[in-house]
Amino acid sequence: MAVMARSEAPENTGFLAGLLAAFSGGGDERARNALISTLSVATLIGIWYLGSLALPSSVLPAPLTVIVALWENLLKGDIYTDIAITLARIGAAFVIAMGMALVLGFSMALSKTAGTFFQVWIICGITMPALVVILTLYMVVGLNDTAAVLGAAAPVIPILSINIREGVKGIDTRLIGMARAFRAGKRQQIVQVMAPQVAPMLLASTRFGIGLIWKMVLFVELLGRGSGVGYRIEFFYQMFNMTEVLAHALSFVFVMLFIEIAVLGTIERRIFRWKRT
Amino acid sequence: MNITVRSEKATLVSQISLIDIHRQFGGSRGGWKALDGVSFDVETGEIVGLLGPSGCGKSTVLNIVAGLDAGYEGSMTIQGRTVKEQLSSGFRIAYVFQEARLLPWRTLRQNIEFALEANDFARTEWAGRIDRVLELVELSKFRDFYPLQLSGGMQQRAAIARAFAIEPDILLMDEPFSALDELTARRLRQSLLNIWAAFRSTVLFVSHNAFESTYLGDRVLIMSPGPGGKIKEEIDLRHLKRPRDYEDSALFEQSKRVVESLQRHIGRALDH
Repeated sequence: MAVMARSEAPENTGFLAGLLAAFSGGGDERARNALISTLSVATLIGIWYLGSLALPSSVLPAPLTVIVALWENLLKGDIYTDIAITLARIGAAFVIAMGMALVLGFSMALSKTAGTFFQVWIICGITMPALVVILTLYMVVGLNDTAAVLGAAAPVIPILSINIREGVKGIDTRLIGMARAFRAGKRQQIVQVMAPQVAPMLLASTRFGIGLIWKMVLFVELLGRGSGVGYRIEFFYQMFNMTEVLAHALSFVFVMLFIEIAVLGTIERRIFRWKRT
Repeated sequence: MNITVRSEKATLVSQISLIDIHRQFGGSRGGWKALDGVSFDVETGEIVGLLGPSGCGKSTVLNIVAGLDAGYEGSMTIQGRTVKEQLSSGFRIAYVFQEARLLPWRTLRQNIEFALEANDFARTEWAGRIDRVLELVELSKFRDFYPLQLSGGMQQRAAIARAFAIEPDILLMDEPFSALDELTARRLRQSLLNIWAAFRSTVLFVSHNAFESTYLGDRVLIMSPGPGGKIKEEIDLRHLKRPRDYEDSALFEQSKRVVESLQRHIGRALDH
């Protein structure tokens, strides 16, 4: 009776996910993955450094210059306010986008009528440039935070909805059949059979959604707000200060990495213990 | 560990009784008639096999007996009452599927707990029942393993343990060993009969394997190919003593009888 070992290959969905897999990957592969990730980061910095040698420092400053600028910003302290404001907008936009996408995704997966009805909306939503959506919302709602948050959320909703729809459709109906055959009540079916099957998809959507929304929020801030990391980046860009532009961008990359690795990675390890041997 | 054995119910009527069951899927036009007048009885504690080719409506019969399919015509009673009445008065039906259908995010112990919870067993009884059934299928050491850490045969044994954990009055099995290699399947059939001997539940199973049906069954019912499945012949195997031995020549003889009967009835249908 052999106990079969199943190793889950980390999904290759970009740099963040790769890094994350390196930190949360299981057992033996952990050290190896950490090494590969370190090399990967070193390569990135290397390319950046080579680029900074080839270009004038006003166009692409060297990594060290940017890190020093970031450090000085952190010591001065103004940057924390901007990060907090941007994080709050990301949080609000994410709640709105995820909420809408859950409603749309579930209804499209479970009802044929809703599926056909919302299909057109989704396709329009995906094809509509985010820039147009954001500008329209600024015009309709006004140049305020409500419009900014809505503008960051709206372009993400259709993409998340499709993700969630596919995830719900992928539920294993044979397990529901098992639950019915053993006379499990509706509550037990939902909590113990459906929810655990939907959880991985929800986590993937969360990760994906936050990644998209943070880019949208910077965009929205750049277009019509006077605060936040996006506004700072725009401000320093107007001043031709690329060092500060990159330093601010980098500050937020670290924040997002923290959320990915420390928060979502921990949740993933907790929930999906059963996938690992 | 204290498991009370329920008193034998006086059985003047059969445990399971199907009379002239018809089942039509879809509309009358373009629909499909799965069952066309199926009638048979199963006594308490008996093991009965439904044997027939794929698509003859065997699984439909199981779903009707389980009370999962109410769209049939005809009469299906359990001890003279409808499934619904029986289930609401504490009667228990367990199911073993072709695949193990364990919840992969739960350990074996938690998977059995799922069935116990669904059947409203008191939490104080859980540990005792789980220990007993896992012991009977020799999986005690693996109680805290997740299904994906185990081989297919072990998963299926866990599924059998889960079914017996609720001490079912009726156990339904839908081709439970057909996804396994023959050696594993043999061990599992023995394992099944061992645990059955401890509980003596009524078993109705579906198979397309003649030898398996002969080895397990007190009686084997041969079904005609679908559409419009019905019982063509009943083969009585009650004279084969239990525990049965795979190498027993009498078993082989009977198995040959079953195969011949199967060929006769399928062959006839194919001539049309």
